[in-house]
Amino acid sequence: MTSFALERRPAPRWWHAVLAPVVSVFAALLAGAVFLLLTDRSPSTVYRALLESGFTTWFGFTDTVSVAIPLIFTGLAAAFAFRMNLYNIGAEGQLYAGAIASAWAGLALAPHLPRPAALVAVLLAGAIGGATWIVVPALTRAFLGTSEIITTLLLNYVALYLMRYLIFGSASYWRDPTSTNFPQGKVIDPKAQLAVFGDTRVHWGLVVALALVVVFWAVRAFTSFGFDMKVLGDSPAAARYAGIPVARTVILVLLVSGALGGLAGASEVAGRAYTLDPNGLALSLGYTGIVVAALARYNPFAVALVAIAMGGLQNAGISLQSTPGNHVPIAISYMLEGIVLLFALGGEVFRRHRLVLRRAVPA
Amino acid sequence: MDAPVLSARGIVKRFPGVVANDGVDLDVRRGEVHTVLGENGAGKSTLAAVLSGYYRPDEGELRVDGERVTLHSPRDGLARGIGMVHQHFRLVDRFTVAENIALGDGSQPVVLDTSRLEREVTALGERFGLSIDPRARVGDLSVGERQRVEIVNTLYRGADVLLLDEPTAVLTPREVDVLFATVRALRAAGRAVVFISHKLGEVMEVSDRITVMRNGRVTGDVRAADTDARELARMMVGRDVDLSPRRAPRAPAAPMLRVRLDGIELDVRAGELVGVAGVAGNGQLELAETIAGLRTPPAGRVEIGGVDVTGRGARAARRAGLAYVPEDRLGTGLAPSLTIAENLLLTRRRGFFVNRRRAAAQARDAIERFDIKASGPDAVTRVLSGGNAQRVLLARELAGEPRVLVAAAPTRGLDVGATEAVRELLDAFRARGGAVLLLSEDLDEVLALSDRIVVLYRGRIAHETPGDGADVEQIGYAMAGVV
Repeated sequence: MTSFALERRPAPRWWHAVLAPVVSVFAALLAGAVFLLLTDRSPSTVYRALLESGFTTWFGFTDTVSVAIPLIFTGLAAAFAFRMNLYNIGAEGQLYAGAIASAWAGLALAPHLPRPAALVAVLLAGAIGGATWIVVPALTRAFLGTSEIITTLLLNYVALYLMRYLIFGSASYWRDPTSTNFPQGKVIDPKAQLAVFGDTRVHWGLVVALALVVVFWAVRAFTSFGFDMKVLGDSPAAARYAGIPVARTVILVLLVSGALGGLAGASEVAGRAYTLDPNGLALSLGYTGIVVAALARYNPFAVALVAIAMGGLQNAGISLQSTPGNHVPIAISYMLEGIVLLFALGGEVFRRHRLVLRRAVPA
Repeated sequence: MDAPVLSARGIVKRFPGVVANDGVDLDVRRGEVHTVLGENGAGKSTLAAVLSGYYRPDEGELRVDGERVTLHSPRDGLARGIGMVHQHFRLVDRFTVAENIALGDGSQPVVLDTSRLEREVTALGERFGLSIDPRARVGDLSVGERQRVEIVNTLYRGADVLLLDEPTAVLTPREVDVLFATVRALRAAGRAVVFISHKLGEVMEVSDRITVMRNGRVTGDVRAADTDARELARMMVGRDVDLSPRRAPRAPAAPMLRVRLDGIELDVRAGELVGVAGVAGNGQLELAETIAGLRTPPAGRVEIGGVDVTGRGARAARRAGLAYVPEDRLGTGLAPSLTIAENLLLTRRRGFFVNRRRAAAQARDAIERFDIKASGPDAVTRVLSGGNAQRVLLARELAGEPRVLVAAAPTRGLDVGATEAVRELLDAFRARGGAVLLLSEDLDEVLALSDRIVVLYRGRIAHETPGDGADVEQIGYAMAGVV
């Protein structure tokens, strides 16, 4: 009898780390082609259209980058906490909470502030809003040992319905009183709106996001706090032994993660919608951030790159659907997204393991 | 001399990257206790697995009573009269002794004849001095009794050759005595016993013949009567080793560590090593963690260098001059995925930023001074051998000249060479005026190093004696709770 078995690679080589994702993506495209053929579509036409609308044209690429901005924030939010085995699934809710707080700052504070201060205020309000949304999960996790997975996940729904209530369900401070037929949010003060680059939709949120990528890396690489995080993520027993304040570190990391999620909301409000727009925000950006972080193996630089790749796929899906003559429903791009994720996770297994042939010992 | 009952010739067993057995010869005779002695990783357990049918050798042949055999499985081995008693027991806690023995025995009738089985087990036990109640539930038995069940089980299956893999590792001194009485009874009854061990003292006590292994090869095959521990150690390690007793070089001075807890009153003076003996789980971990500031005792106090650190946290205890080598070295004392350089920083005081260049320089220095075998400061700690990991841990804990060192099981699982190195470090620290509290289940180690010995039983000091001329028997009784 012969069987296959996965064996841990003794020492994964550097080129495995490069090869695995590349091969995974190609394999995913091949698998996706099967589905396209089954639904009578030419894979080459669809893939070419996908590349053009997502990546290879200036308009397509800049749109992709603008879609990727919130994904960089939510990807960092997930990566920061996940690295320490703290599973904050709540970037979605933190994004809404951050958007609510940021819109409030843009409406209430910005009119009284000079432009730079107004911008700082909307972003800071978003970060504080996101962090506030994770305070309870962080405290209960640190002191009572509750699962942050459950608490952060459930709070996502609370945040979603709170945001909807503020616009659709009540005459709240955020709602525009003149919008009676279809309720909308008030537009924030122009001083609080992030500028765009040229004729693109890419706004200054990108610069903030990329700066945070560098800060994320530097904190982990050079500071004692980053070192404590590393120890705690690797071995809680060693952290306790070394006298690292475990509860304090857990709380701080979750608050930072929540703040990053909140910044995603702030950058959407201040850079794209200029208002609290419940439908435009509820695009699963928080959940997609988890996927981005996982594919990036929690590396901040990779988060930025993966966010752009994922943004491209989503952006292309939207424009493919709206282009007449293609007949490519958005479901196709969702399917491709799913297949890419599946194969990427599979590729990760092969990066760490190898397939070996096992001859069973004759009994 | 009789013909060997079990004979191995030129056994070779390879695993990816290592040759675990490289041309091993072994002759086991009836009525003989034949020891296979070697360090961790010398290939003893692989050899035992080959002899009992768990592994098939890549090369070489096995003969049972002169007949060439191929063993395909442990069951095959048992059919030829070769049975293995494992280091880790394979018993079902909820079953009785008799039920455990019936388990997996194809020769039992479909409906178990329990009373017949129980009679047989009792009879077998009496014959070899293995008193055992066949109706007792295994979950209620002590470790020593469970081992007896395993031995009876192997005998019940008709084993002529019994392989005992590190059987004393889990036993108290008294239980070891009982085991050795059984081994002698088996020898007297004409069975062959293959005793696998790395403990020189025990080997000298119980063996007739000793085969020494190093790096998968046989480095010596001698009669116990013709050799001594020093020669065996040399064959085992490949050079002279010194594991002789060490005592304080000078009169101890002022107390550096004062422990005043319920049932534990203990002072360790500068230049003194106090050994804490006891069976695992009698409060050693709690004592060590209380001293290290990781636990707050309900009452009492701990002073390090005259400073009260009771329940003030790990960092306060370190500031007062404590170094702590925990029993769980990889996972608690060291973070396994971090590099050597990072692990050397683990308990150091750090500012806002971590100075990586200085950390790397310190790591290079430690690697050289403590003779750590590693590719460099960036080597991940997980891949180090036990001895090298322990050197990293000691390098960190002994840096900055602490006043008190608490070391829990510092040589457990280490080979003789690394054990010697660790003992030298402890001894040197004591000689520099450090106070050492050594917690160890290895009584030989406690006896070899301690200026004073206390025995911990159920969280209290049950016995206290000077290290010189300590009465081993009395310590053993205290460990077992018999005073």
